[in-house]
Amino acid sequence: MPTVVMMDVSLSMTRPVVVESSEEFQRKNLAIHGLTMLFEHMATNYRLEFTALLAFSSLWELMVPFTRDYNTLQEALNNLEDYDKTCLEAALQGVSNVVQQEWGSGCPCQVVLVTDGSLGIGRGSLRHSLQTIKQRGEDKKFPLPFLFPSKLYVMCIASAEELQYGDALENLEQLLNLNGGEGQIFTMEGPLCLKNVQSMFGKLIDQAYSPFHAVLRCGNLSSDVQVFPRPEPIQLDEEVDPTPRTILTELEIVGFIEIGDISSPPVLSRHLVLPIAVNKDVDELGTGAPDEMEEDSSSTQMAGKSPNFCVLLHGSLKVEGMVALVQLGPDWFGILYSQADSKKKSNLMMSLLEPGSEPLPWLGKISQLGPTSDAAENPYGEDDSKSPFPLQPKNKRSYAQNVTVWIKPSGLQTDVQKILRNARKLPEKTQTFYKELNRLRKAALAFGFWELLKGVADLLERECTLLPDTAHPDAAFQLSHAAQQLKLASTGDSQYAAFQHNITPMLTDFSGGAGDRDRL
Amino acid sequence: MKMFSASHKTAFVVDHCHYMAESCRQQVEFDMLTKNRAQGVIPLAPVSKSLWTCAVECSMEYCRILYDIYPTRKLVNYIVSDSDCHILNSWNQVDQNTQELMARLAVVGPPNPSEDPECCSILHGLVAAVGSLCKLTEYQHEARTTLMDQAERVNNRGRIICLTNAKSDTHVRMLEDYVQETILEQNKIAAASDRLMQIQQCELVLIHTYPFGEETLVSDRPRKEISSVLSSEVHSVRAGRHLASKLNVLVQQHFDLASTTITNIPMKEEQHANTSANYDVELLHHRDAHMEFIKSGDLHPTGSTPRDSGLKETVTLKWCTPRTNSVELHFCTGAYRISPVDVNSRPSSCLTNFLLNGRSVLLEQPRKSGSKVISHMLSSHGGEIFLHVLNCTRSTLEDPPSISEGCGGRVTDYRITDFGEFMRENRLTPFPEAQGADGAGKVPLERAKGQLERHTRYWPMIISQTTIFNMQAVVPLANLIVKESLSEEDVLTCQKTVYNLVDMERKNDPLPISTVGTRGKGPKRDEQYRIMWNELETLVRTHVGSSERHQRVLDCVLACRSKPPEEEERKKRGRKREDREDKAEKNGKDSEAERSWQESERLKAALEREKDDLPESEVIKDSPDSPEPLNKKPRLEMEELQLPEKAKGPVSLFTMWTNRINAANSRKHQEFAGRINSVNNKAELYQHLKDENGMDSHENGKATR
Repeated sequence: MPTVVMMDVSLSMTRPVVVESSEEFQRKNLAIHGLTMLFEHMATNYRLEFTALLAFSSLWELMVPFTRDYNTLQEALNNLEDYDKTCLEAALQGVSNVVQQEWGSGCPCQVVLVTDGSLGIGRGSLRHSLQTIKQRGEDKKFPLPFLFPSKLYVMCIASAEELQYGDALENLEQLLNLNGGEGQIFTMEGPLCLKNVQSMFGKLIDQAYSPFHAVLRCGNLSSDVQVFPRPEPIQLDEEVDPTPRTILTELEIVGFIEIGDISSPPVLSRHLVLPIAVNKDVDELGTGAPDEMEEDSSSTQMAGKSPNFCVLLHGSLKVEGMVALVQLGPDWFGILYSQADSKKKSNLMMSLLEPGSEPLPWLGKISQLGPTSDAAENPYGEDDSKSPFPLQPKNKRSYAQNVTVWIKPSGLQTDVQKILRNARKLPEKTQTFYKELNRLRKAALAFGFWELLKGVADLLERECTLLPDTAHPDAAFQLSHAAQQLKLASTGDSQYAAFQHNITPMLTDFSGGAGDRDRL
Repeated sequence: MKMFSASHKTAFVVDHCHYMAESCRQQVEFDMLTKNRAQGVIPLAPVSKSLWTCAVECSMEYCRILYDIYPTRKLVNYIVSDSDCHILNSWNQVDQNTQELMARLAVVGPPNPSEDPECCSILHGLVAAVGSLCKLTEYQHEARTTLMDQAERVNNRGRIICLTNAKSDTHVRMLEDYVQETILEQNKIAAASDRLMQIQQCELVLIHTYPFGEETLVSDRPRKEISSVLSSEVHSVRAGRHLASKLNVLVQQHFDLASTTITNIPMKEEQHANTSANYDVELLHHRDAHMEFIKSGDLHPTGSTPRDSGLKETVTLKWCTPRTNSVELHFCTGAYRISPVDVNSRPSSCLTNFLLNGRSVLLEQPRKSGSKVISHMLSSHGGEIFLHVLNCTRSTLEDPPSISEGCGGRVTDYRITDFGEFMRENRLTPFPEAQGADGAGKVPLERAKGQLERHTRYWPMIISQTTIFNMQAVVPLANLIVKESLSEEDVLTCQKTVYNLVDMERKNDPLPISTVGTRGKGPKRDEQYRIMWNELETLVRTHVGSSERHQRVLDCVLACRSKPPEEEERKKRGRKREDREDKAEKNGKDSEAERSWQESERLKAALEREKDDLPESEVIKDSPDSPEPLNKKPRLEMEELQLPEKAKGPVSLFTMWTNRINAANSRKHQEFAGRINSVNNKAELYQHLKDENGMDSHENGKATR
């Protein structure tokens, strides 16, 4: 989840802060101090996060495009200059553009807005923007809500009291509401000083940048992992199930599936699963865990040198071309697999499937998946040539079952033509002829299209008269039989017009009786 | 989309009164001229569909698309109205398919022109539709049951699509009022019933259809709120293809669908098999498959375009020839079922058959800049075709640290192949729901978890941490012991495996003990076997609680591995501790019966040995005599120490006394040769055969002592 830091560099940020100590601070210094703290935290605990720095006043400028290089960000932060007044709308539009250009509109982003809470006056002020929000055309829409899923964190280098004095807080809250309530406003508690700015940014870090640690288990094998980016809670149907779902910190592998069988499933999000070293060797030795193999790492050994389950799992998933199905919560699953990027590097990746008992129709209900050893006969075949997947749906879809649609005349014409073509090749094509005839008959009966039945009967009778002399005598019999049956069906007589009834070929002694005649 | 939105329940009410038998006045030629046709034949007169036929086939097309894209959870109740109402199906999922509906429509047949016009009315059907909407669907019932005290969260909304031939605008208003009144009435009844639900929201879609060439008597009207419960819209359309395209637009609106046209599909020509022309096929699917286009402004979201603009909006995607292979895992953000707009046309069926045969097609987004962006994929899974949305923007996870840079990344001897084998054994397979729960009532997934737990009770991750898993000879036992239950035959196989190992030990076969981290030859052969037996015992011991048969396998291992401990001691000490050897040897030479007296002393000695061994293994690594400095070794030694004690249990005074008496008695007579030569009271028969074949002198020594 990339981050955009929006730094207010308007003149009001240079207002001095009254501090008891001798040193004089500007609000800007406090803001930089807070951001430095955030960047340091990310560099150590959240280093895969892409962050961009955007400075704004009445204009905006992308100081640092998305990067993981926190030194660059820090440097740019230290070299910010002071400009004129605050114009938030343009800057938010800027954020919107920057994010969409880089990540498209599907990627969730966090926006950290750092401001002193004086949000401009007159045109271009936030107040003005919000007042005119309903009077805009399609081309000048207010940038919020962002087109991409987002969280907006407003860091006010001002106390709540100070903000309440004007309408700044009100305006900021409105801004948050516009973004669907996604985000939070942070204000300084107590006097403006380094300590309090630290505690404010500390809250942001806890809220948005705390790493997600979990234990990945496969039976008795396990590994401590960090899941990055942090999986965010998701909400399904707000009516039936309004509480958002969060993933468990205990990720349990329930079994394995071939990549071909899982077959590019749709996923909510993807996350790296990074093994981490947690120093608990001492405890383990003390309790004497049964799997003594896992605790051979003495505390002095490097983490890289002690075997880790993630690495083993990754290696085998890669070699075998499989995925591990992992349980994320009640009725919620994900898949673990080896993901290689272009540079020969590969990694253990986790994708979250849609929560629910049946996230992928071709796997069926996940709770109904069990060990192959329980099956009477190996569903993968003795030589691995078969697969129990994909599951077939109960009903075939229309395109897989040769449905009859006559909405366009061509549909009807094609079906009649097929009957005629086969009619001319009687008796060889007797089976196909009757199959097509019955298909047409069924549809005509369902649609109440009796006129067509009469028409096709006439058509077959005429074909009968047009039969060449060389034609097999059976052809004439079958044609007139079929025509007669259609005519009967078109009367609606329940004896002949039953839907399930099929016209069967007339029994003649031309084909089957030939042998008998020989004998006679 | 909310689960219980108005789209959850759709009631179709189709007018079956005599006036619907009227022709739609659009003629269909069905006697087409074909090749090889005799000259001078006059084609038969074209046929024409009735208003009824048009209404039925268009509504069936609506259902076809709906069922293709939402095989579950979006339900249709089909009602036909004439002098009475005929409810053709229920909300039950089993009733939701077009074949069933077609069969029941065939029973209804075309309208009867001779029926008394007085009793015929669409009102019967509308009343029935409102009644139906009050009935619970299986899904509503299930959700209410699950939510228990919060059952009110389950909403009851629905839609009535009424296909009729109305007289006038006043007539239409009368129908609306009638539906409104009926809802109020039925809601009162529903409020008093547990098995019915009040309708919270109902969308009435009135479609007035009339023959071609006639003036319409009813005017179109966009959706209007009639009351808080009912909204209504009126569409006035000519029968035939106009009605069809109207219902096609409606099904898209009602179920949030969008259209994609696949262009440039290469297809063999019927006439000229070696040439191919390019075709287009239009597909419908959930509009979320276009989310990226809508957001980027390339497409208007459905809300912003005026409804019924008539202009069909479709996104064009280009067929991409380099096909994808199925073993590739694409990053796919959505997969949506499709339904071809023109299901029976040749291009459509060519495309769908191609996909149903298991092939996938990547689709390219036409871009002005000329760059090629693959944004979608068509693929079938088990007879259903899905449009997959592929991620085509920059990934936030690019350039991650390689797994080899992290924890455990420097270890090179992971048992990758073995774990691969383990994964194959733990592949999942679907079980039918009815028989899924076994006797213990465990769902298959829980059984899968149980199996994983059993299979990993002892599973060393790296090659140098294990001996037994590097030995082919152990495989039969290792495969069987993890099973939940063993058969007699399995136990026998395990025992055979153990005997086989005993045999190997007797022959002094080399073991695949890892020498990683040690210089020289590694541990001595007997030390190797000791490590191997320890490990085997650890493996079997983790499963001993599973069943009595597992216990028997352990018993077998314990019995076979325990050579007379004195002997082991003796050999060790002989090698390492000259000073203490004398005493130990004396102990060793004492009769078998005396052994229990020595037990405590032996343990003490072993403990000392352990203390001595430890620094030794660390200090003199270079010596070929020193055991391999496996990290786990200290623990294994500890375990070994406790084992004999555990196996034998505490020795009672009575036992000691009996042993002593027996020993005394035994001196008074000559022991049977078999008993003298026995190992653990089991004598090997036909030993001379082995002797003749040149048996290991060392083993002989043991046997005859």
